[in-house]
Amino acid sequence: MTFRTCSYENELAQALKHGHWPEGCGPELRAHVDACGSCSDLVLVTQTFQHARSESERTAVCGSPGLLWWRAQLRRRNAATERVSRPITIAQIFALFVYVFVGVVFVASQYRHGLHWASWWSELVPPRVVHFLPIGSGQVDWNLLLLISGCGVLALLSGLVVYLASEKS
Amino acid sequence: MRKHDTTGEYAIPNVDAGVASRPDELPMDSDAFAGFYQRSAPALRAYLVRVSGNPALADDLMQESYLRFLCASRPEGGEVTYRRYLFRIATNLLRDHWRRPRAACLEDVPEQFLAARDGLARIDSQAILDPAMARLRPRERQLLWLAHAEGYSHREISDITGLSAAGIRLLLFRARRKIARLLRKQIDADRRRA
Repeated sequence: MTFRTCSYENELAQALKHGHWPEGCGPELRAHVDACGSCSDLVLVTQTFQHARSESERTAVCGSPGLLWWRAQLRRRNAATERVSRPITIAQIFALFVYVFVGVVFVASQYRHGLHWASWWSELVPPRVVHFLPIGSGQVDWNLLLLISGCGVLALLSGLVVYLASEKS
Repeated sequence: MRKHDTTGEYAIPNVDAGVASRPDELPMDSDAFAGFYQRSAPALRAYLVRVSGNPALADDLMQESYLRFLCASRPEGGEVTYRRYLFRIATNLLRDHWRRPRAACLEDVPEQFLAARDGLARIDSQAILDPAMARLRPRERQLLWLAHAEGYSHREISDITGLSAAGIRLLLFRARRKIARLLRKQIDADRRRA
Protein backbone atom coordinates (compact mmCIF):
# COMPACT_ATOMS: atom_id res chain seq x y z
CA MET A 1 0.00 0.00 0.00
CA THR A 2 1.50 3.32 -1.06
CA PHE A 3 1.47 6.08 1.54
CA ARG A 4 0.90 9.38 -0.19
CA THR A 5 -0.78 12.47 1.14
CA CYS A 6 -2.93 14.78 -0.88
CA SER A 7 -2.22 18.50 -0.78
CA TYR A 8 -5.92 19.21 -0.17
CA GLU A 9 -6.17 16.85 2.77
CA ASN A 10 -5.57 19.37 5.55
CA GLU A 11 -7.98 21.89 4.07
CA LEU A 12 -10.61 19.22 3.63
CA ALA A 13 -10.07 17.82 7.13
CA GLN A 14 -10.56 21.29 8.63
CA ALA A 15 -13.72 21.82 6.59
CA LEU A 16 -15.09 18.49 7.75
CA LYS A 17 -14.13 19.12 11.37
CA HIS A 18 -15.90 22.46 11.48
CA GLY A 19 -18.93 21.31 9.49
CA HIS A 20 -18.17 23.45 6.46
CA TRP A 21 -18.26 20.55 4.01
CA PRO A 22 -19.68 20.68 1.38
CA GLU A 23 -21.64 23.95 1.37
CA GLY A 24 -18.85 26.04 2.86
CA CYS A 25 -16.20 24.84 0.40
CA GLY A 26 -15.29 26.14 -3.01
CA PRO A 27 -16.05 24.35 -6.29
CA GLU A 28 -12.36 23.58 -6.77
CA LEU A 29 -12.19 21.53 -3.57
CA ARG A 30 -15.44 19.76 -4.33
CA ALA A 31 -14.24 18.86 -7.82
CA HIS A 32 -11.00 17.60 -6.36
CA VAL A 33 -12.78 15.37 -3.84
CA ASP A 34 -14.80 13.81 -6.66
CA ALA A 35 -11.59 12.92 -8.46
CA CYS A 36 -9.27 12.07 -5.54
CA GLY A 37 -9.65 8.67 -3.92
CA SER A 38 -7.86 9.63 -0.73
CA CYS A 39 -10.00 12.71 -0.18
CA SER A 40 -13.25 10.91 -0.98
CA ASP A 41 -12.22 8.29 1.60
CA LEU A 42 -11.63 11.08 4.09
CA VAL A 43 -15.07 12.56 3.46
CA LEU A 44 -16.86 9.22 3.68
CA VAL A 45 -15.08 8.09 6.84
CA THR A 46 -15.28 11.41 8.67
CA GLN A 47 -18.95 11.95 7.93
CA THR A 48 -19.83 8.39 8.96
CA PHE A 49 -17.89 8.67 12.21
CA GLN A 50 -19.28 12.10 13.04
CA HIS A 51 -22.80 10.84 12.46
CA ALA A 52 -22.17 7.76 14.61
CA ARG A 53 -20.67 9.91 17.36
CA SER A 54 -23.58 12.32 17.49
CA GLU A 55 -26.05 9.42 17.59
CA SER A 56 -24.09 7.65 20.32
CA GLU A 57 -23.93 10.82 22.37
CA ARG A 58 -27.63 11.47 21.93
CA THR A 59 -28.64 8.02 23.11
CA ALA A 60 -25.95 7.51 25.78
CA VAL A 61 -27.17 6.92 29.33
CA CYS A 62 -24.41 7.82 31.77
CA GLY A 63 -24.35 7.29 35.51
CA SER A 64 -24.52 9.84 38.27
CA PRO A 65 -21.50 12.13 38.72
CA GLY A 66 -22.29 12.35 42.45
CA LEU A 67 -21.69 8.65 42.92
CA LEU A 68 -18.38 8.85 41.08
CA TRP A 69 -17.41 11.85 43.19
CA TRP A 70 -18.13 9.96 46.38
CA ARG A 71 -16.21 6.89 45.20
CA ALA A 72 -13.25 9.05 44.22
CA GLN A 73 -13.19 10.61 47.70
CA LEU A 74 -13.27 7.17 49.26
CA ARG A 75 -10.45 5.96 47.04
CA ARG A 76 -8.29 8.96 47.85
CA ARG A 77 -8.81 8.47 51.56
CA ASN A 78 -7.89 4.82 51.31
CA ALA A 79 -4.80 5.69 49.28
CA ALA A 80 -3.75 8.31 51.84
CA THR A 81 -4.29 5.90 54.72
CA GLU A 82 -2.27 3.23 52.98
CA ARG A 83 0.50 5.71 52.27
CA VAL A 84 0.69 6.77 55.91
CA SER A 85 0.64 3.24 57.30
CA ARG A 86 3.22 1.82 54.89
CA PRO A 87 6.38 3.05 56.75
CA ILE A 88 4.98 1.78 60.03
CA THR A 89 4.43 -1.64 58.54
CA ILE A 90 7.94 -1.67 57.08
CA ALA A 91 9.43 -0.66 60.45
CA GLN A 92 7.44 -3.36 62.22
CA ILE A 93 8.58 -6.02 59.77
CA PHE A 94 12.18 -4.90 60.12
CA ALA A 95 11.99 -4.91 63.92
CA LEU A 96 10.45 -8.37 63.84
CA PHE A 97 13.30 -9.69 61.69
CA VAL A 98 15.89 -8.16 64.03
CA TYR A 99 14.25 -9.69 67.10
CA VAL A 100 13.98 -13.09 65.44
CA PHE A 101 17.65 -12.86 64.55
CA VAL A 102 18.61 -11.91 68.11
CA GLY A 103 16.47 -14.73 69.44
CA VAL A 104 18.16 -17.27 67.18
CA VAL A 105 21.59 -16.01 68.20
CA PHE A 106 20.60 -16.22 71.86
CA VAL A 107 19.28 -19.76 71.57
CA ALA A 108 22.35 -20.83 69.61
CA SER A 109 24.71 -19.33 72.17
CA GLN A 110 22.86 -21.01 75.06
CA TYR A 111 22.70 -24.36 73.33
CA ARG A 112 26.28 -25.12 74.32
CA HIS A 113 25.32 -24.94 78.02
CA GLY A 114 23.18 -28.03 77.60
CA LEU A 115 20.62 -28.66 80.34
CA HIS A 116 22.09 -25.86 82.45
CA TRP A 117 21.42 -23.31 79.74
CA ALA A 118 20.13 -20.71 82.20
CA SER A 119 22.86 -21.18 84.79
CA TRP A 120 24.21 -17.70 84.29
CA TRP A 121 20.88 -16.26 85.46
CA SER A 122 21.48 -17.26 89.07
CA GLU A 123 24.47 -14.95 89.25
CA LEU A 124 22.53 -12.11 87.79
CA VAL A 125 20.02 -11.77 90.64
CA PRO A 126 20.49 -12.00 94.44
CA PRO A 127 20.71 -15.58 95.79
CA ARG A 128 17.50 -15.27 97.85
CA VAL A 129 15.56 -14.44 94.70
CA VAL A 130 17.20 -17.28 92.81
CA HIS A 131 16.00 -19.61 95.54
CA PHE A 132 12.40 -19.03 94.40
CA LEU A 133 13.12 -19.22 90.67
CA PRO A 134 12.90 -22.57 88.84
CA ILE A 135 16.30 -22.15 87.14
CA GLY A 136 19.71 -23.47 87.81
CA SER A 137 22.73 -21.66 89.15
CA GLY A 138 26.08 -20.89 87.62
CA GLN A 139 28.33 -18.11 86.44
CA VAL A 140 26.91 -15.03 84.74
CA ASP A 141 27.95 -14.67 81.11
CA TRP A 142 28.31 -10.89 81.10
CA ASN A 143 29.45 -10.84 77.51
CA LEU A 144 26.28 -12.52 76.42
CA LEU A 145 24.17 -10.24 78.56
CA LEU A 146 25.79 -7.22 77.03
CA LEU A 147 25.37 -8.71 73.59
CA ILE A 148 21.65 -9.24 74.09
CA SER A 149 21.15 -5.79 75.56
CA GLY A 150 23.11 -4.26 72.72
CA CYS A 151 21.14 -6.17 70.12
CA GLY A 152 17.86 -5.12 71.71
CA VAL A 153 18.83 -1.46 71.72
CA LEU A 154 20.13 -1.79 68.18
CA ALA A 155 16.87 -3.36 67.02
CA LEU A 156 14.80 -0.64 68.61
CA LEU A 157 16.95 2.11 67.18
CA SER A 158 17.04 0.44 63.76
CA GLY A 159 13.27 0.24 63.66
CA LEU A 160 13.00 3.86 64.66
CA VAL A 161 15.53 4.96 62.04
CA VAL A 162 13.84 2.99 59.29
CA TYR A 163 10.47 4.39 60.29
CA LEU A 164 11.71 7.96 60.30
CA ALA A 165 13.57 7.51 57.00
CA SER A 166 10.51 6.02 55.31
CA GLU A 167 8.27 8.76 56.60
CA LYS A 168 10.69 11.41 55.39
CA SER A 169 10.94 9.92 51.90
CA MET B 1 6.78 3.14 17.30
CA ARG B 2 5.70 3.07 20.93
CA LYS B 3 7.22 5.90 22.84
CA HIS B 4 6.89 4.61 26.36
CA ASP B 5 7.49 1.44 28.24
CA THR B 6 4.75 -1.11 27.86
CA THR B 7 4.57 -2.67 31.28
CA GLY B 8 0.89 -2.59 31.89
CA GLU B 9 -0.21 0.55 33.64
CA TYR B 10 2.70 2.68 32.47
CA ALA B 11 0.72 5.70 31.49
CA ILE B 12 -2.12 5.45 33.92
CA PRO B 13 -1.86 8.15 36.54
CA ASN B 14 -0.82 6.93 39.92
CA VAL B 15 -3.46 7.40 42.55
CA ASP B 16 -0.84 8.15 45.16
CA ALA B 17 0.90 10.72 43.02
CA GLY B 18 -1.65 13.43 43.49
CA VAL B 19 -2.75 12.85 47.03
CA ALA B 20 -2.95 16.21 48.67
CA SER B 21 -2.05 16.97 52.25
CA ARG B 22 -5.69 16.60 53.16
CA PRO B 23 -6.86 13.30 51.75
CA ASP B 24 -10.54 14.26 51.67
CA GLU B 25 -9.90 17.18 49.32
CA LEU B 26 -10.28 16.64 45.59
CA PRO B 27 -8.70 19.10 43.18
CA MET B 28 -11.99 19.73 41.34
CA ASP B 29 -15.11 20.66 43.28
CA SER B 30 -18.29 18.63 43.03
CA ASP B 31 -20.25 21.05 40.87
CA ALA B 32 -17.38 21.61 38.45
CA PHE B 33 -16.96 17.87 38.11
CA ALA B 34 -20.68 17.34 37.52
CA GLY B 35 -20.58 19.87 34.68
CA PHE B 36 -17.45 18.37 33.18
CA TYR B 37 -18.96 14.89 33.47
CA GLN B 38 -22.17 15.89 31.71
CA ARG B 39 -20.19 17.38 28.85
CA SER B 40 -17.57 14.67 28.45
CA ALA B 41 -19.21 11.38 29.49
CA PRO B 42 -21.31 10.77 26.34
CA ALA B 43 -18.30 11.25 24.08
CA LEU B 44 -16.09 9.06 26.24
CA ARG B 45 -18.71 6.32 26.40
CA ALA B 46 -19.20 6.46 22.63
CA TYR B 47 -15.45 6.05 22.17
CA LEU B 48 -15.22 3.12 24.57
CA VAL B 49 -18.28 1.37 23.15
CA ARG B 50 -17.07 1.72 19.58
CA VAL B 51 -13.53 0.62 20.28
CA SER B 52 -14.29 -2.21 22.71
CA GLY B 53 -17.51 -3.32 21.00
CA ASN B 54 -18.89 -4.10 24.44
CA PRO B 55 -21.23 -1.59 26.17
CA ALA B 56 -20.96 -3.25 29.60
CA LEU B 57 -17.19 -3.13 29.47
CA ALA B 58 -17.38 0.44 28.21
CA ASP B 59 -19.48 1.45 31.23
CA ASP B 60 -17.01 -0.16 33.64
CA LEU B 61 -14.03 1.46 31.98
CA MET B 62 -15.75 4.80 31.85
CA GLN B 63 -16.37 4.77 35.60
CA GLU B 64 -12.81 3.72 36.28
CA SER B 65 -11.53 6.44 33.95
CA TYR B 66 -13.38 9.13 35.87
CA LEU B 67 -12.25 7.73 39.22
CA ARG B 68 -8.62 7.79 38.13
CA PHE B 69 -9.11 11.21 36.64
CA LEU B 70 -10.42 12.52 39.94
CA CYS B 71 -7.79 10.81 42.08
CA ALA B 72 -4.76 11.70 39.99
CA SER B 73 -2.94 14.98 39.72
CA ARG B 74 -4.09 16.34 36.40
CA PRO B 75 -2.05 18.39 33.94
CA GLU B 76 -2.37 22.15 33.86
CA GLY B 77 -4.93 23.47 31.45
CA GLY B 78 -8.60 23.84 30.86
CA GLU B 79 -11.35 21.49 29.89
CA VAL B 80 -9.83 20.59 26.53
CA THR B 81 -6.70 19.32 28.28
CA TYR B 82 -8.75 17.51 30.90
CA ARG B 83 -10.80 15.86 28.19
CA ARG B 84 -7.73 14.67 26.33
CA TYR B 85 -6.27 13.40 29.59
CA LEU B 86 -9.47 11.49 30.27
CA PHE B 87 -9.28 9.86 26.84
CA ARG B 88 -5.70 8.90 27.57
CA ILE B 89 -6.71 7.20 30.81
CA ALA B 90 -9.54 5.38 29.04
CA THR B 91 -7.24 4.29 26.21
CA ASN B 92 -4.73 2.86 28.65
CA LEU B 93 -7.43 1.10 30.65
CA LEU B 94 -8.73 -0.41 27.46
CA ARG B 95 -5.26 -1.57 26.49
CA ASP B 96 -4.67 -3.05 29.94
CA HIS B 97 -7.99 -4.83 29.72
CA TRP B 98 -7.08 -6.47 26.43
CA ARG B 99 -3.71 -7.50 27.76
CA ARG B 100 -4.80 -8.87 31.11
CA PRO B 101 -7.27 -11.73 30.60
CA ARG B 102 -5.63 -13.78 27.91
CA ALA B 103 -2.18 -12.19 27.98
CA ALA B 104 -2.85 -11.27 24.39
CA CYS B 105 -1.65 -8.26 22.48
CA LEU B 106 -4.23 -5.66 21.60
CA GLU B 107 -3.94 -6.47 17.93
CA ASP B 108 -4.35 -10.22 18.45
CA VAL B 109 -7.86 -10.13 19.86
CA PRO B 110 -10.15 -12.10 17.57
CA GLU B 111 -12.50 -9.86 15.70
CA GLN B 112 -15.62 -11.89 16.47
CA PHE B 113 -15.31 -10.78 20.11
CA LEU B 114 -15.40 -7.21 19.02
CA ALA B 115 -18.61 -7.02 17.06
CA ALA B 116 -20.81 -4.23 18.35
CA ARG B 117 -23.50 -5.49 20.69
CA ASP B 118 -24.98 -2.20 21.76
CA GLY B 119 -28.63 -2.41 22.68
CA LEU B 120 -29.32 1.01 21.24
CA ALA B 121 -31.58 1.36 18.27
CA ARG B 122 -29.45 1.36 15.17
CA ILE B 123 -29.57 4.08 12.65
CA ASP B 124 -28.37 3.83 9.09
CA SER B 125 -24.83 5.06 9.77
CA GLN B 126 -24.45 2.61 12.63
CA ALA B 127 -25.82 -0.23 10.56
CA ILE B 128 -23.15 0.55 8.02
CA LEU B 129 -20.37 1.43 10.44
CA ASP B 130 -20.70 -1.41 12.94
CA PRO B 131 -19.95 -4.29 10.56
CA ALA B 132 -17.03 -2.37 9.12
CA MET B 133 -15.67 -1.54 12.58
CA ALA B 134 -15.96 -5.17 13.62
CA ARG B 135 -13.53 -6.08 10.86
CA LEU B 136 -10.87 -3.65 12.01
CA ARG B 137 -8.25 -4.17 14.65
CA PRO B 138 -8.81 -2.44 18.00
CA ARG B 139 -5.86 -0.15 17.39
CA GLU B 140 -7.30 0.91 14.04
CA ARG B 141 -10.69 1.56 15.62
CA GLN B 142 -9.07 3.69 18.31
CA LEU B 143 -7.16 5.80 15.84
CA LEU B 144 -10.08 6.24 13.47
CA TRP B 145 -12.46 7.22 16.24
CA LEU B 146 -10.07 9.67 17.83
CA ALA B 147 -9.21 11.26 14.48
CA HIS B 148 -12.55 11.32 12.71
CA ALA B 149 -15.18 11.25 15.46
CA GLU B 150 -13.35 13.29 18.11
CA GLY B 151 -11.39 15.38 15.62
CA TYR B 152 -8.05 15.06 17.38
CA SER B 153 -4.83 15.93 15.57
CA HIS B 154 -1.99 13.45 15.14
CA ARG B 155 -0.11 15.07 18.00
CA GLU B 156 -3.11 14.86 20.31
CA ILE B 157 -3.68 11.22 19.38
CA SER B 158 -0.02 10.66 20.09
CA ASP B 159 -0.52 12.08 23.59
CA ILE B 160 -3.54 9.87 24.14
CA THR B 161 -2.27 6.58 22.75
CA GLY B 162 1.47 6.84 23.38
CA LEU B 163 2.29 6.16 19.74
CA SER B 164 4.55 8.40 17.71
CA ALA B 165 2.90 11.02 15.53
CA ALA B 166 4.64 9.70 12.42
CA GLY B 167 3.42 6.19 13.12
CA ILE B 168 -0.09 7.44 13.68
CA ARG B 169 -0.08 9.16 10.31
CA LEU B 170 0.77 5.92 8.53
CA LEU B 171 -1.55 3.73 10.61
CA LEU B 172 -4.40 6.17 10.15
CA PHE B 173 -3.87 6.34 6.41
CA ARG B 174 -4.05 2.56 6.14
CA ALA B 175 -6.99 2.23 8.50
CA ARG B 176 -8.91 4.92 6.65
CA ARG B 177 -8.43 3.21 3.31
CA LYS B 178 -9.45 -0.09 4.82
CA ILE B 179 -12.62 1.17 6.45
CA ALA B 180 -13.56 3.27 3.43
CA ARG B 181 -13.39 0.13 1.30
CA LEU B 182 -15.51 -1.76 3.83
CA LEU B 183 -18.03 1.08 4.10
CA ARG B 184 -18.43 1.30 0.32
CA LYS B 185 -18.93 -2.45 0.14
CA GLN B 186 -21.54 -2.24 2.88
CA ILE B 187 -23.32 0.67 1.19
CA ASP B 188 -23.40 -1.20 -2.12
CA ALA B 189 -24.78 -4.31 -0.41
CA ASP B 190 -27.49 -2.26 1.30
CA ARG B 191 -28.43 -0.62 -1.98
CA ARG B 192 -28.69 -3.99 -3.70
CA ARG B 193 -30.90 -5.29 -0.92
CA ALA B 194 -33.09 -2.20 -1.13
